[in-house]
Amino acid sequence: MGEVASSEVTKVAAATSSQDPEVGLAAVAALRGLVEVLEALQVENARAKGWSWRQIAARLGVTKQAVHHKYAGRRFGFRR
Amino acid sequence: MVQPSEHAHRTLELARAEAEGFGHRYLGPEHLVLGVQRHGDNGASEVLTSFGVDLVAARTALGHLADRGVVPGPRPSDAELLESLGIDLAAIRRTTEQSFGAVAVGWAIREATRARRRGVGRVPRTPLRDPPMLIGQVLYHAGERARALGLGVVGPELLLWGVVADIQTPRPRCMNNRWRRQLHASVGLAEGYRGAARLLLVELGVDLDQLREAVMDELGGVQR
Repeated sequence: MGEVASSEVTKVAAATSSQDPEVGLAAVAALRGLVEVLEALQVENARAKGWSWRQIAARLGVTKQAVHHKYAGRRFGFRR
Repeated sequence: MVQPSEHAHRTLELARAEAEGFGHRYLGPEHLVLGVQRHGDNGASEVLTSFGVDLVAARTALGHLADRGVVPGPRPSDAELLESLGIDLAAIRRTTEQSFGAVAVGWAIREATRARRRGVGRVPRTPLRDPPMLIGQVLYHAGERARALGLGVVGPELLLWGVVADIQTPRPRCMNNRWRRQLHASVGLAEGYRGAARLLLVELGVDLDQLREAVMDELGGVQR
């Protein structure tokens, strides 16, 4: 059963190029999940190095308010 | 604090392996039943066997549930999905941990997935973390039973107890929230999913009340 399912999974993965929305959207969701973690890591790193919200927002290509709204409530400073 | 025993850890690992074998991107109570049987060396497995449930039959029954749409069909893993976009998840995991450290990556994962007001920037899950374990209530019931019995560890027998108790107990309303619904949808689970162990055991012809009593009898014995 396990081997059969695994080969089916590989087939599903290969079907991504067939523009199947089921798989394509799942791939985008996985990408978003990855990006959010990487962004949180980089923003925390920038804040730890003394960057202002304005500077961070400029690099991310969003407004200062947007980045502040998203990250200001977070528990930064896990290193301390 | 009640801790899982070595056998329980092994059972959970095997349950994960069973879930992966079916291409399921979550761990549910139904996989625990398979994990208990695959482990084999425990009282819970003996109880299930006495009800005519073996690993092959349980796998076949779960396959039937997948055919009926109760549980999802095989889905590609996050690593496979990202690979289809030309992204090497293992390489990203490695480089971020090298650059920032495992503690920082763990923190970022919690921050990206934790509850926050208005849900801004929140994702239900991330490929950098293992597939979600949707067995919180099973572990809760197992732990409560362990405390009631004065046991310090949760073994496979108590895990099976947790599965049965979860089936027979209404879930708290707090388990139904937007975040949970998003999480379930992200792994392909149907709306209203609350574990498929009941349907799996019914498919296998198991009487839940009798199973509950048999597990309770088994718990009077030795916890492995």
